[in-house]
Amino acid sequence: MNDGRPSALAAADALGARLRATRTEPAANPQLEALALAVTADQPVLLWGEPGIGKSAGMQQLADALGTGLETVIASVHEPSDFAGLPIVGDDPATTGVPMAPPDWAVRLARTGHGLLFLDELSSAPPAVQAALLRVVLERRVGSLVLPEGVRVVAAANPPAGAADGWHLSPPLANRFVHLDWTHDPRTVARGMAGTWPVTALPAVDPARTPGAVARARGAVSGFLTARPGLVHHMPNEAEARGRAWPSPRTWEMALRLLATGYAAGSSGEALAAALAGAVGEGAGLELIAYLENLDLPDPDRVLADPDAFALPDRGDRQLAFLIAVVAAVQAEPTRPRWEAGWAVLAKAVDAGVPDVAARAAADLAAMRDLDWPVPSGIDAFVELLQLSGALPGGG
Amino acid sequence: MDGPAGPPRPAAGPGPEPTRLDRAKLLAARYRAAEARPYLASALYALAVVPSRAVPTMGVDRHWRAYVSPRFVDDTPVAELAGVWVHEVAHLLRDHHGRAARLSAADQRDHVRVNIAQDCEINDDLLADGLPLPEGRMEPRLFGLPAGGLFEAYLPGIPPTPRHHPDCGSGAHGVPVPWELGADGPGGVGRMEAGALRRQTAQAMRAHRRSRGHLPAGWQRWADELLEPAVDWRRALSGAVREAAAWAGGAVDYTYRRPSRRTPALGGRVVLPSLRRPLPRVAVVIDTSGSMGEAELAAALAEVTGVLREVGVRGNRVAVLACDADVHTVTRVTRAEQVVLEGGGGTDMAVGIRAALGLPDRPDIVVVLTDGYTPWPPEPVSCRVVAALVGETPPDPPGWVETVRVPPGA
Repeated sequence: MNDGRPSALAAADALGARLRATRTEPAANPQLEALALAVTADQPVLLWGEPGIGKSAGMQQLADALGTGLETVIASVHEPSDFAGLPIVGDDPATTGVPMAPPDWAVRLARTGHGLLFLDELSSAPPAVQAALLRVVLERRVGSLVLPEGVRVVAAANPPAGAADGWHLSPPLANRFVHLDWTHDPRTVARGMAGTWPVTALPAVDPARTPGAVARARGAVSGFLTARPGLVHHMPNEAEARGRAWPSPRTWEMALRLLATGYAAGSSGEALAAALAGAVGEGAGLELIAYLENLDLPDPDRVLADPDAFALPDRGDRQLAFLIAVVAAVQAEPTRPRWEAGWAVLAKAVDAGVPDVAARAAADLAAMRDLDWPVPSGIDAFVELLQLSGALPGGG
Repeated sequence: MDGPAGPPRPAAGPGPEPTRLDRAKLLAARYRAAEARPYLASALYALAVVPSRAVPTMGVDRHWRAYVSPRFVDDTPVAELAGVWVHEVAHLLRDHHGRAARLSAADQRDHVRVNIAQDCEINDDLLADGLPLPEGRMEPRLFGLPAGGLFEAYLPGIPPTPRHHPDCGSGAHGVPVPWELGADGPGGVGRMEAGALRRQTAQAMRAHRRSRGHLPAGWQRWADELLEPAVDWRRALSGAVREAAAWAGGAVDYTYRRPSRRTPALGGRVVLPSLRRPLPRVAVVIDTSGSMGEAELAAALAEVTGVLREVGVRGNRVAVLACDADVHTVTRVTRAEQVVLEGGGGTDMAVGIRAALGLPDRPDIVVVLTDGYTPWPPEPVSCRVVAALVGETPPDPPGWVETVRVPPGA
């Protein structure tokens, strides 16, 4: 395959080609999934990460997974006029005017109609370039050219502490992005150097789920903000936090889109959580996630009506929340069939191997017993546990 | 977690190896812990139990799985097992593996010492709270250390060859150990879910304190710090100065003095302007009277000048003024050592700010270092003002001044 190169170079290139040949293995990567989710939902993304930790490689993976091309533009080597268009002077500018020609990458994106535009090193560009670029990110306009619907824009910046020129995003701008932190895992890098890189299966929106996902996301965000009106708009007090994600009506709208997209694509909880925290900030995001987890619990009244046809949540703290809700529902309307249905629900928790989670609820249920109701058989399952723990006499 | 359980036993210890885990006893202990400390119930029940012969006593990993030795459960009374449950969940709630990852590399490798320091951080609170723990537990007093500290502070005081080797697993010290299932194992709690659990637990603690009034001091500190994290004043001050500099320096203008390098590309028929970026001028006004400490002043001034140097504002663009209202003198200094702190009362920062604005090269930003006991200009001045307030509970400046508090002893 010597195509006229000197043999020394050909040998070196062969070595390079051998180094480029790597294997891949499937692995979960929540940060890449969160990025894919935000890009799928068509929200402007700002990736924060130190230089040289594989942001561009992640973008290439994402573009391959979405099946579109990747256009990388290094912001710091451009001038504002590159993004506002360059004047092309014809023979008679007085009659034809001076058209502003867009740069070639914008033309390429407009011609294919879809693609991933990656604006790298946003934080080391001069402020005027940043201002021009933000117009590209937020209004999707390059000079007189409007980027088509299918183009997704992602920007990357170095954190203020790590950047030499100390770039600070102003609060109104920060509030228009989904902020995602890009970190590297030393073990992944070490494994990659050995020749195996992880590949993540990225979720895609399932059209069949769309109507349900939208209704569910609307109900969840609206219910949460009804319960916590203080979180609708809350600007942080200090400069560093104002330049990141914080809750405002605009970012809640973004969170709603992310949530609906996540439901429709069946995203993992971890990726959805990272994307939501990137839209409305860590505090509000985590509160929303806790609220969503409680929403996912089965409806206690429906379960009491048919105690054999429900699945216990899989994590102990959610089981606890669910069983507390069941006991509260029995307490609100203590009839014998509902009371006995409550014992049937607790029996499921015992079968699942978590009698201690149900023990508290069992004690509360037992206290509700009417004197002429028979003692339920399920109570024996808890006696040993309560005795052992010292809550009942006769234990060890 | 040999911390509370003494040295690791040899495999052929006294008594036969139990064939299976006594789940009833283990869960009874968890129930007891959750009843005694209701605010920890969610976190305790979120742990998934994994029986393991390899683990010496009990350990956790970062995915909230609890690895339990059947023999340890058989040998330990329920009351002490309940204490061990709380101990293990405390490792995860306090994000010990996350904090261990921020230690220096040498400290991270020495995970035995890290684990001991972490056990000290947890156990003094548990014992103060009246929770029984098994024999051989780690406490700060064993190493002559004060109670109530964080493990990062205990670490230097832990001797290099400890008598016991606790191992609470990677959920504590962050180093994977052989018996753990790893990231791909079944179940487990993700990073964000763990964050939500921590928040939930902190809120439950606050609710518990409001209704019943009693909460161990260590947990109270933890919950307050988690729900309202105290931002390091250095980051707050450098963030404020940085933002002000970006705002003032953002006035980028086009100029025709140097034509753009793109002009030849257009055939020379259109002359495009190029960009110039003026750098902001900054005045630092120092209050020399009042209760400012030398150390705090030097730290705050170093922070400000450091940030300004970073954003490229240096040399004659920074003016440092020492302001003493008694004699209404404003002197221009070049080094922090030249600032003479007078002490005594009678400050008027309005004088200092006016003097700064009256300099021949007018500043775009004024940074004020003061103890806060001072009148301020009655209405907003025509530049950005950032105030670093040094000392105990300084009074608030007006709203248009961006304020950062520097605690004493900083």
